[in-house]
Amino acid sequence: MSSLELDLEINGRRIRRTVPAHMRLLDFLRDELNLTGAKEGCGAGECGTCSIFIDGVLMKSCLVPTARVQGKKIETVEGLARRGELSPLQKAFCRTGASQCGYCIPGMVMAATAALRRNPHAGMEEIKESLSGNICRCTGYQKIFEAVALARDVMNGMLPATALDAEVLGDTFVGASVRRLDAPSKVTGALKYAADMTMLGMLHMQVLRSPYPHARIVALDTAEAEAMPGVEAVVTHRDVPGVDGFGVFVHDQPVMARDKVRYVGEAVAAVAAENLDIAKAALARIKVRYEKLPAVFDAFEAMRRGAPILHDTARDNVVMHIPIRRGDVEHGFAESDVILEETYRTQAIEHAYLEPEAGLGYVDQDGVVTIVSPSQNVTHHRHALSRILALPINKVRMIMSPVGGGFGGKEDMIYQGMLALAALKTRRPVRYVFTREESIVATAKRHPFVVSYKMGVKRDGRICATSMYMVADGGAYGLSTEGVMRKAAILAAGPYNIAHVRVDAIGVYTNNTPSGAFRSFGALQSEFATESHLDMIAERLGIDPIELRRINGMRDGAITHTRQQLDSVSLMTVLDAVAKAAGWEAGAPTVRGETRSDLGAAGNRPPCTLGARLKTRETRDSWEVA
Amino acid sequence: MGDKRRGRGFAAGWYGIARTATVDRAGAWAELDDGGTAKVVTGVTEIGEGILTVLAQVAADELGVRPEDVMLGDNDTSRTPEAAHAGASRQTYMIGNAVALACREARGRLVAEVADHWGVDPASIVTRAGAVWARNSNLRMTMDEAVRLCKGRGVVPVGSGTFASQHTGLDPETGGGRPWQAYVFGAQIAEVEVDTGTGEVQVLGVWAAHDVGRAVNPRGVEAQIEGGVVMALGQALMEDYRLKDGYTTTPGFAKYVLPTSLDVPRITSVIVEDPDPLSPLGVKGVGEPGMVPTVPAIMNAIYDAIGVRITSLPATPEAVLEALRGTRDRQPGNAAR
Repeated sequence: MSSLELDLEINGRRIRRTVPAHMRLLDFLRDELNLTGAKEGCGAGECGTCSIFIDGVLMKSCLVPTARVQGKKIETVEGLARRGELSPLQKAFCRTGASQCGYCIPGMVMAATAALRRNPHAGMEEIKESLSGNICRCTGYQKIFEAVALARDVMNGMLPATALDAEVLGDTFVGASVRRLDAPSKVTGALKYAADMTMLGMLHMQVLRSPYPHARIVALDTAEAEAMPGVEAVVTHRDVPGVDGFGVFVHDQPVMARDKVRYVGEAVAAVAAENLDIAKAALARIKVRYEKLPAVFDAFEAMRRGAPILHDTARDNVVMHIPIRRGDVEHGFAESDVILEETYRTQAIEHAYLEPEAGLGYVDQDGVVTIVSPSQNVTHHRHALSRILALPINKVRMIMSPVGGGFGGKEDMIYQGMLALAALKTRRPVRYVFTREESIVATAKRHPFVVSYKMGVKRDGRICATSMYMVADGGAYGLSTEGVMRKAAILAAGPYNIAHVRVDAIGVYTNNTPSGAFRSFGALQSEFATESHLDMIAERLGIDPIELRRINGMRDGAITHTRQQLDSVSLMTVLDAVAKAAGWEAGAPTVRGETRSDLGAAGNRPPCTLGARLKTRETRDSWEVA
Repeated sequence: MGDKRRGRGFAAGWYGIARTATVDRAGAWAELDDGGTAKVVTGVTEIGEGILTVLAQVAADELGVRPEDVMLGDNDTSRTPEAAHAGASRQTYMIGNAVALACREARGRLVAEVADHWGVDPASIVTRAGAVWARNSNLRMTMDEAVRLCKGRGVVPVGSGTFASQHTGLDPETGGGRPWQAYVFGAQIAEVEVDTGTGEVQVLGVWAAHDVGRAVNPRGVEAQIEGGVVMALGQALMEDYRLKDGYTTTPGFAKYVLPTSLDVPRITSVIVEDPDPLSPLGVKGVGEPGMVPTVPAIMNAIYDAIGVRITSLPATPEAVLEALRGTRDRQPGNAAR
């Protein structure tokens, strides 16, 4: 392997190192110099978490070969706050609460710095365009925009420097917008996520994944891989000493495939080796012989008789069916003046947290198996791992590393079991960092739903009966499907008084990527159907959609669809509040967009017209700091 | 060339706080520490939502210190009491209340010693932002002095708290049950501009009113609503994890499209505070409910603008154009079913 004598300047200091010629700049910064403020979010220049300056130009360091920066000046996020004094932009990010999980923030701060260096008077449209190569999954960008505008105005002397200070607080704190305690560590890149951590003697893990959606594993031979110099261990399902299986609600996914694989990307074997190159090479030496099985990719087909069966524990491929029954819907439809039927479909969604999964596993001096990972659910993981390893609960320790976004996607124990097995087998620390592609292919998605809807109403708008038949694709393993079906079903018919309700939520196994926990957990899908349906009802009856909710909406003392009495119901308050805030013009939803008088109110952004700033250079805009 | 048409849509929603149809619980330990600082240890899971700051605020008020005086020991299953997962919009409700109860016990220990030292009724003692005093008196000391006094009398002012939300399972046939004790409600209005030539939908404004119970950190609440609205906007208009025969065709961010700074609306949050009557703090939650009404609000706004009902997500430009073609010869107001 050829190497390179590198001589360059980083954050004002001259650095000379010998590195492999093919090394990426991002790896050089992170692995050689410990400058872990630049993060790897995608490795393909698509997310911006690795943004840095090269000779003053904003670049994505995952795309830059180290050889290209010979003799150049590099600036990383660590260089912005020299001697601990945050830059005005970093202070502004702290002030407005622009960081949440923080994983995108070093890159975002660099992009914002570039924007204001290029044009200290940049208007909001130009700022947005400058940030458009950097993805943030947590904040919705609002507080980031606010931060950049605030820093701009302070740097231009239009606002005093004190505008960047934390809000002045009284002597009580609940109800006050106290500045996030973790903001400085996030805007400076100081916070260490799992992939930023190393341990002495650490091994690197790589995982062999299924190339088939459904196949029997006929033979699995790891001997050749294990014999490779630098390979410390190969682990498979054979190394599991206890009861194999994880999943928040249904524990049917093995740590690594046993007997068969059920989706493309499922883990089959894992290698722990001295370095990543060896670990990757070893994967190619693991011999797996598969016998392909018929597969099913549609939830309705999976429920048909004769469909391929994924799990012996569910011969009908149904993970969970949650029914809600109240009154008699047929009676309700019979007394309705108008009946409306419709089918709604929602798609699978990727969590796309900017931090791909990563973790370290080791066995401590007292024999405690320890996993450090960005888990949203360490309590559940310790129970699962204790069962899988057949160890007492106090011999399993889960430590949560800073989580670079979760949204439900980091609740399931997708990889921690493999780390534990490898650590036990090698008695050395083992680290595993997912690529973005692995994260997408191997981890759970939001359940796609098909909702068959039937609603009956009186001419005055009162809902008589609601029937919803919902089928969700749960993918190859159970994970959180049971819980998602339950929440989807309970909330499906909406916060409305309905005497006759029939809801079915059915989660089904298929050979698709597993579906799992995802922020709003089934309610987004089922309530999308109800709220769309009510708009159509409002149109049909000629009633304002907010008025339709007032007619049917629950109030204090209401009985829910599960027959629970609610003492305090704030629905009417939120209806009034949103109508007032938006200046809503009441009227039936009869495609009256063109004639509405409430369009274009304050609270809208201008429509996006890319490149507009090249024609008109704005210096100020209406974006104000709250 | 098509023209650009605007419209507005409305949707509401509701959500339950904490784990569904099962008893949820969380524990915490607290200690008033040297120098008038505090330690709070709990298995809380900060995933970016800002829960650590929320807990520091709660602890500060309950103990009588300032948020920056609070050291939070967080999630390590061998070192912290169980407080369980980041999910179900549960942490402010479950762990916030557990921390409040732990702090009340720790404070009680300290206050008992100070009251005995001063010879006053413990109920007359106020602890606030680092100061300790007895009402209607000149008796006053700093929290630093109070902790020293307490320890000098042989008492370490520690406390523990456990909070439960009592939910019952659903009847397997009728679904009857009490899945949550705290419910929240929300409503949103979206304003869109649709290009009838390209099918592109831009969401220009979203107004979001949400009941969150007592809001511990209003800016943090807004941030949760804003993040949720934009995540839902992705689901409404662009995101689509696709598989062909089990193989994904969207393996990276070049194919799996996410909202960027250019795609997001201006978001106006209205925080409605209907305090929860069943818990010490009156808080509820906001992590998930903020995204529930967004998708239908956008779809209803698209209909308002161009008379096309999108019932299959996402409303990509292709899907909008396709639907427009399908409805061109129908009556307005009687669009695609």
